[in-house]
Amino acid sequence: MNKLLVVDDEPEICEFLQAFFEERDFQVEFATSGKDALAKVEKKPPQVMLLDVQMPGMDGMQVLKEVKKKHPKVKVIMVTAIETREKIEEAMRAGADNYITKPLSLEYLEKDVQEKITQLAKA
Amino acid sequence: MRLYLEKQKRFLRKILLGMGLFLTGFIALSFLYFISNRWIPLSWTANLIFQTFLMTFLCLAAYKPLDLGITKLFRHYLFKKKSYGQIMLIDLAEELAVILDLKEWANLVVNTFGEVFHLRTVALLVPGRDQGGFEVASAYGWSVSDVKKSKLSQNSILLELMRRRGSHVLVRDGEIQKVSWQEANHIAQEFDFLHATWVIPLTNERDLIGAIAFSASTPDVVYHEGDFQFFREFARAIGKSLHNALRFSELRAAYDELQDVQSHSLQRAKLSAIERLATGLAHEIHNPLTVISGKAQVLLLKKGKDILDEQVEEVLRTIVKQTKRAADITRKLLMFSQSSGAPREQLHLEQVLEDTVSLISYQTSLEEIEISRAIGNRMPAFYGNVHELREVFLNLILNAVQSIGSRGKIHCNLRYRSKEQVFEITIADSGPGISEENIDKLFNPFFTTRPDGVGLGLFVTRQIVHRYGGSIRVESQAGQGSVFIVQFPHQDHDDKAVQGEEFRGKGSLWSPLTATSLKDQKKD
Repeated sequence: MNKLLVVDDEPEICEFLQAFFEERDFQVEFATSGKDALAKVEKKPPQVMLLDVQMPGMDGMQVLKEVKKKHPKVKVIMVTAIETREKIEEAMRAGADNYITKPLSLEYLEKDVQEKITQLAKA
Repeated sequence: MRLYLEKQKRFLRKILLGMGLFLTGFIALSFLYFISNRWIPLSWTANLIFQTFLMTFLCLAAYKPLDLGITKLFRHYLFKKKSYGQIMLIDLAEELAVILDLKEWANLVVNTFGEVFHLRTVALLVPGRDQGGFEVASAYGWSVSDVKKSKLSQNSILLELMRRRGSHVLVRDGEIQKVSWQEANHIAQEFDFLHATWVIPLTNERDLIGAIAFSASTPDVVYHEGDFQFFREFARAIGKSLHNALRFSELRAAYDELQDVQSHSLQRAKLSAIERLATGLAHEIHNPLTVISGKAQVLLLKKGKDILDEQVEEVLRTIVKQTKRAADITRKLLMFSQSSGAPREQLHLEQVLEDTVSLISYQTSLEEIEISRAIGNRMPAFYGNVHELREVFLNLILNAVQSIGSRGKIHCNLRYRSKEQVFEITIADSGPGISEENIDKLFNPFFTTRPDGVGLGLFVTRQIVHRYGGSIRVESQAGQGSVFIVQFPHQDHDDKAVQGEEFRGKGSLWSPLTATSLKDQKKD
């Protein structure tokens, strides 16, 4: 089963994403902080990770860099409330696999996650 | 001073000269008779032809010294009362003492000087903006273009002479004769440059702070040491008030600059406050919107669901659509606040266009929309803010993408029209076009034809374009696609700086108007 890790400091967001992806046969875990997320990745690396950029404490960018350093195979989709070019570029350079903005289009998100899974399967 | 010796005086002088000559002849003849009778009894001294010859010779020899002597007598003893010109200048000096505005001061000096002495040209020079040089503050009888370009640079020989000689009046021909021919050439050039025959330096406590350069209307006018003496006194009298006027104009320029900076920084503070607010707002609002929209979408996309009540489904779709709209508004607000007051730099529009297109392909899945680009040769650098310009391109291309829908073409053309010195960007799409009634409203805030649109994109775009002094228009016919045409004027960084200076210097040293009005007056 495909493993998905949702990271967002807003638990409600994690909840509906979990419900949505579990319905589509994903094994979904969630974390509400950067540290929590890193611990969960260490314990059981997911295939795909939805990572909020703006979080108190350790932010999404730091998490992304850590994850890509230790587990380069994990696909990371960055999620943010506002896009600035600098942030997008920084994320892309740090190895992010996509960059999407809130509010989320679940249809688009599902398509994107599936695409990442397919890429992993091919590799 | 020939100019102000009036008619009556000239007549009186001629009578005196005649009498003087007669007296000389009479004394000489008496003396001749006396010596020929007493000591040397010569018969030929009584000869009439000899006597006539002697008289003529004496008259010729005595004419010049006598004339000079009488002129001196006139000036120093008989008519020591100030002449008309001198009285005017003394009045002028008193009047100038209470004027603080440099422009007014300068205008009054050149006008009065020019009119009192019936001069051809008068110019007042004061220290310029560049260190050490002098520029024309006001001129009489000059053409406007001359006023603009006439400046004495820091290493001008004329300035050097004035600094060395203190308060001495410089005379064109006099100065030329004293120096080597190379220097003479330079000096002559500078005098001609100022349209001047004489230059009176103006000093304050030995510092050279200005000069009056003038020339007479006819070449035969000559001034003498006595006149120069008076000019020097006049220069000394007005030196202090010129000094005050100069200080005052400096203070005012500094004050203007301070106000500029203050209002600018106030503006910046306000903008960054808006920006912070917008950023915070976007963060705080987008999370709840994400929850609302996300939960609605979970329901809408539920697998193996019982078919939802039609009404419920409609409500859910509305929730998703409206939350997206709310998010778009905060995003636009943020973009708008970020783009204003931002620093400008040299950049290349073609690069900004490339970046924007790739940014769009990051974010939007451009399914079957083909974006092509054409970029002209020899694109000069553009002076602007990258965020603002990216915003312009982004809005126009996104607008095109949205109007096309799912399939079509967008063509971006960027070129530089060297003749008009403008950058022209055209963005053409193969969408449905814009109806005539909508074209006029297109750039209004909150005008949109899309049900989920916000209506700020083109409004913000136009604001930015106008900020660069550019223009934006659209050509479209319903069913034929639309073309947006943006033009930006090409401005060098340096040009901008100069323009800014001129703008700031509303109370600056010289005004081109002065020269025109004075020239006109002179014609009258």
